[in-house]
Amino acid sequence: MRRGIWMALGATAGIGGALLVSRRASAASAASPAASGATPETPPTIELAGLPRAADVSGDLVRNWGETPVDLRPLFMLAEETARIRGASRVLAVIAYRESRFVTTAQNGNAAGEQDERDSSRDAYNNRKASNPPLRYGEQAAAFGSGGLFGALAPYFLWTGVPEVGDKAPLLGAPPSLVFQPRAAAFGAAVYMQRLLKQYRVDDIPDIKVGWANPGLLGKGRGGETYLSVRKRFLEDAKTVGIDLADTNTIPAKLDASAWPGVPAVFAGLVGALPKDLA
Amino acid sequence: MTPDLRCYGDDIQSVADLVPDFDLRSPMDVESWYPREWQAIADTLGFAQQLAAAPRAMPTTPDRITAMTLVGLMAFEHALRAGRPGVPESQARVQSAVLQAMTATGLERGELWRVTADPTTLATGACYAEGGRSLRAFYPDTAPGYFGDGWNGPPPRAESACGWQTPLVLHLGTFPWVYSSRLGHIGPGARWASSASQPALEGLHVVASLLEPATNLRQDARQVAAIYRHFATHTAPLVAALPSFQPGRAEAGRLYRRGRFLLAHQGSLHVAALDGPRGRLAASAYNYILRRFASFFAVRRAALRSLATLPFEVQRRAATSADPCLRQQVEGVARAS
Repeated sequence: MRRGIWMALGATAGIGGALLVSRRASAASAASPAASGATPETPPTIELAGLPRAADVSGDLVRNWGETPVDLRPLFMLAEETARIRGASRVLAVIAYRESRFVTTAQNGNAAGEQDERDSSRDAYNNRKASNPPLRYGEQAAAFGSGGLFGALAPYFLWTGVPEVGDKAPLLGAPPSLVFQPRAAAFGAAVYMQRLLKQYRVDDIPDIKVGWANPGLLGKGRGGETYLSVRKRFLEDAKTVGIDLADTNTIPAKLDASAWPGVPAVFAGLVGALPKDLA
Repeated sequence: MTPDLRCYGDDIQSVADLVPDFDLRSPMDVESWYPREWQAIADTLGFAQQLAAAPRAMPTTPDRITAMTLVGLMAFEHALRAGRPGVPESQARVQSAVLQAMTATGLERGELWRVTADPTTLATGACYAEGGRSLRAFYPDTAPGYFGDGWNGPPPRAESACGWQTPLVLHLGTFPWVYSSRLGHIGPGARWASSASQPALEGLHVVASLLEPATNLRQDARQVAAIYRHFATHTAPLVAALPSFQPGRAEAGRLYRRGRFLLAHQGSLHVAALDGPRGRLAASAYNYILRRFASFFAVRRAALRSLATLPFEVQRRAATSADPCLRQQVEGVARAS
């Protein structure tokens, strides 16, 4: 699978929404409070709501989607509509193609030859654990690598929203495997896209993918070999998927996150709420 | 009288049971069964929004089923027009002409589900011109696949300008998955659209018409049963190897069987697939195809049950059908009434 690096993913706070938790999840989570600092033996299984359907969104699901799987389009569109970033859905689809080939459980770090990805998630965890709120499943996240539709590094995924809402970030008590659930992955992606658009110089659509790979490339790395190769690959991916990035009817020339409703609202709209003992 | 579909084989009754039974004489049944089928079609083919936005009834026809067919096809057409052309205009025009000819013949023969023709007898020889070359307007679907063991003959009687060496075979009953192979997450027929022509619309029209009692009864169900049996034979071992879905105990991203259908828990049915000796079969295609068989036999059962209330011409055609099972059922209905 494609390697995805989220350099500075934040967090969020959760409110509202319906979500199912398995019996196993309830039992496991009740035994291991985050405050104890201990890593639970077995992360709970959490079952978020399934993929959204066409009726759950109002945005167009036919025009300029190329070969994006029909049943994933409402998820990308829901991310766009919830985040209020017009054009985000198709861009997220191209990113998902690169990072996971649209496989929701894609993982880098679960195979013997993927030590580098495990090293990345370990580094991510070690470098930030002192300054970020504790993760209940921090050790598992450190050993997880990256995964999900958008190729998120597990620790950064679980810290999604921390810069915005601090220790109210909604995934601090969740296990890293939550990234395999598409609604949660989309939440992380929406927050990250918002941050890129608000905090970095993003000149055009391909710059978003550059920031996805490494936001440092949008600063000092701009114009360099890696910057250019990420852009080139992104444009190739868009062509392969069949999404016309120049179609301004569906993707504005520059995405705009000024209407961002806030991390809690996006979490509520995409994910719902985690069980109380995990939130 | 409860119509018995076992004449087509012991397995056919259970295929029909994969979708709800309904009574064509009950407006309530009709009003719930057909929209549900259209919703399932639209969900898989990606025009659910257009279907939701379509008017509930067509003022041009008093028949509820015909009206729903028109609504569904209109929604599909809107989606086709909104999407990007999948084939050149020259190919689309030939495809439309060929489909019209083949569906007319197929309907007459009672073999609309799978239509076959010598391509050299069709308009332009089922060839289209592009860049100075003559190309086949359809894929030559001859290799063994999920719908059959291949169609290598008879060869075209005339020389083909674009290289046809086999009959043209299209499985329109499972449109847009019209070939015995190439069962990926996008049915090949879904790409049959140019900026000015929508042959795909004609393909879906066949699917819709097979849900209408009159056309359903004109189809020789033995053909459908045989194709279904082939499909089931080659997919059953692949499906049986999957775990059974148990709510609350499912693993994200994993493909499960739920009854006879497939479910990708927290994943995409269009991405998940069955891989077998006959090739890759997208999970979404599998579900859709299975449902087409189920719906066909459910409508057949419902049509037989209400045969006496159908127009005289429909009854007459059924009584003289080449399908002995249908004739037998008609005789049974006549005796009972």
